[in-house]
Amino acid sequence: MSVASAGQTGDVRVFAQYDRDFSEEADVAVVGSGPGGAVVAKELAEAGRRVVLLEEGPPFTPDDFEWEGTRSMTRTLREGGLRATRGYVMPTMQAICLGGGSLVNSAICPRSPDFTLERWCTQFQLERTTRADLDPHYESVEKFLGIAPTPDNVQGKRNLLFKRGCDALGYSSEPIPRNVRGCRGSGECFTGCRSRAKQSMDISYVPAAIRAGARVLTSVQVQEIRSEGRRATAIVGRVTAPFTGKLSHRFEVRAKVIVLAAGCMATPVLLQRSGGLANASHQVGENLQFHPGVAIQGIFPERTDPQFGATQGYQSLQFLREGFKLETLWAPPGVLAVRTPGFGLELKRHLGDLPYSATWDAIASCNHSTGTVRAVRGTLDPALAWRLDPRDVTILQRALWVLAEIFFAAGARTILPGVHGMSEEMHSLVEAEPLRSKPLRPTDVVCGGNHVFSTARMHGDPRQGVVDEDGKCHDLDNLWIADTSVFPQSPSVNPMLTCMALAHRTAGVIASRV
Amino acid sequence: MTSLPWLLAFAPLAYALVRIFGGYAAPRRPAAVLSRRELGFLDAAADTLFPPGGAIPLSGREAGVPAYVDRYVEAVPRRMRLLMRLLFFLVEHATVFFPAPGGIFGGGMRRFSALDQAGREAALAGWQKSGLFPRRLVFTSLRAILTMGFFASPPVLRALRLAPLAIETPVCEADLLYPRIGARPESIRFTAASLTPPSDGTPLDLDGPLHAGYAGGGGR
Repeated sequence: MSVASAGQTGDVRVFAQYDRDFSEEADVAVVGSGPGGAVVAKELAEAGRRVVLLEEGPPFTPDDFEWEGTRSMTRTLREGGLRATRGYVMPTMQAICLGGGSLVNSAICPRSPDFTLERWCTQFQLERTTRADLDPHYESVEKFLGIAPTPDNVQGKRNLLFKRGCDALGYSSEPIPRNVRGCRGSGECFTGCRSRAKQSMDISYVPAAIRAGARVLTSVQVQEIRSEGRRATAIVGRVTAPFTGKLSHRFEVRAKVIVLAAGCMATPVLLQRSGGLANASHQVGENLQFHPGVAIQGIFPERTDPQFGATQGYQSLQFLREGFKLETLWAPPGVLAVRTPGFGLELKRHLGDLPYSATWDAIASCNHSTGTVRAVRGTLDPALAWRLDPRDVTILQRALWVLAEIFFAAGARTILPGVHGMSEEMHSLVEAEPLRSKPLRPTDVVCGGNHVFSTARMHGDPRQGVVDEDGKCHDLDNLWIADTSVFPQSPSVNPMLTCMALAHRTAGVIASRV
Repeated sequence: MTSLPWLLAFAPLAYALVRIFGGYAAPRRPAAVLSRRELGFLDAAADTLFPPGGAIPLSGREAGVPAYVDRYVEAVPRRMRLLMRLLFFLVEHATVFFPAPGGIFGGGMRRFSALDQAGREAALAGWQKSGLFPRRLVFTSLRAILTMGFFASPPVLRALRLAPLAIETPVCEADLLYPRIGARPESIRFTAASLTPPSDGTPLDLDGPLHAGYAGGGGR
């Protein structure tokens, strides 16, 4: 191949700049610029290592954001935002852009609870993943991103109504801690923050990495990791055009250390496409877990103006030990309205109630429901198989009931539960009783499957896990993983902060060895 | 006379082909990817899901749903494009084989777009209320696509007072690093002198001006 270096120290390359095949050399090559990869790149660049950060998607400027839901999704999400699991059909979204999921998530950053970390240590033979071990890493990330509870002045009515309902029932609730500075309550987290308040990786960790000398290559698709014996030697791939995915020039990056942070779907696919790399345990692509989410829309007597307020501003951690977490939610109206029941004038009546509505959701730790990620010939898009276990449906049903309780305690006049086989509208807790008592099947509930983990899980025993406690692959001496695929199980809460904390620890270990 | 058996055998096939492929009106404007048959189906589906009147006066067609779906299908990856078009084909033609209420002699055995309004509503209700999860999934998917199209319409959003507001975007360090998608770095119009103070967290004024793409007019 005709070879040239694509960039200089402290540089970022974009699609329009690639005009030939190229190769790079580095101390560390990081694949993926989401919350895991961006942290590793910044920490190692600041430690003086020559870092190349590779990202398949382009960087988005505010001029590139699209407020309308599907236009945004087709541009920022893989498979046009239409990726879904097979077995139990559930949509799941993975981003393709500089900053990864942090560009289009709602910035929720809680720490995993003590009991979860204790379970990880006990069940997965881990010794240094306790609260005390991880807290310094959590603190470092929190400080850098300015993570703080959402202030009241940008909560908006729909978030504060949630607090009112929880207070009335004696349930705990609190403002959601978020990686945000100067939120104005535009509710646009999912389509790109026009206020530049959300500290997504593309405006926080990645610029810091560049400042420290990292080279950032965007619009490059890593297709294979090459290895010799116990060492990964290089990554190879092709330049890829934004949105169309059309492939062009070839590239190769040789590095002393390779860090995979491509996400819970792409990381196992890359390992599978690289000759079954790092898979002596046969755990690569196994144990796929989600936080299936269910939601209820409530209609209030007064206008809630739901378009104003932090996208997700309030939460309740009261039920974490039962397996679910409650949150408030806003999304582009077209996306939110997808759950609205009926059609015709009935549907229009419900849509007309949107300005009087609030939508609250529950995410569940469905540890009984697992699946697989498999590479598909000719594409990097994975085949996802997953089933919702009936035992986890019980958790989701309990969560739906608690949400109904909170809505009516907050003064809702109607709720739209969105559960098959039940009334489309419920006007009191008495009417909502079937939510508690009627046996539900998995296909009766409509779930969204975000927060993905465990497809290259961490385990103290090399026969049962892909990476060790530091994120290093058991089978190779210089291949590391720093994304949510290393989680042993559900983190019980939104995974981004724990992913970054683990990546921070991984970066420290790499810096000490390279 | 020997051609009579052939004629008898051919007639049902011809009838089915006409039912499936014939008689669609020409589209009012050229489409990016969808055929006139698909646009004909989407016209019918949009106005059945979102008929004129009610809480939001615009109908699905008036809100531009079929044209939106055309752009959406164009934007998604090829495999998803195929699945979406299969979805449209399935709902459009299922009633040819499984008649809507009214049955064969009551006008129910027609493709969806050729049914009367009551027939279309009955056909959609059949999908929506089915005991079979895959059938419900078909309805949910179709409604999701068309609902997102309905809410892509600025007049619909303005009618509900849900249109996005104008926001003054601060210039931050990242804006000096990244050009717009598809452009070269030389096109970056910001320098260090362009940096502005970050957002101070002042809540948005709901009575403030709307986002330029949603203020007045009829849409993009």
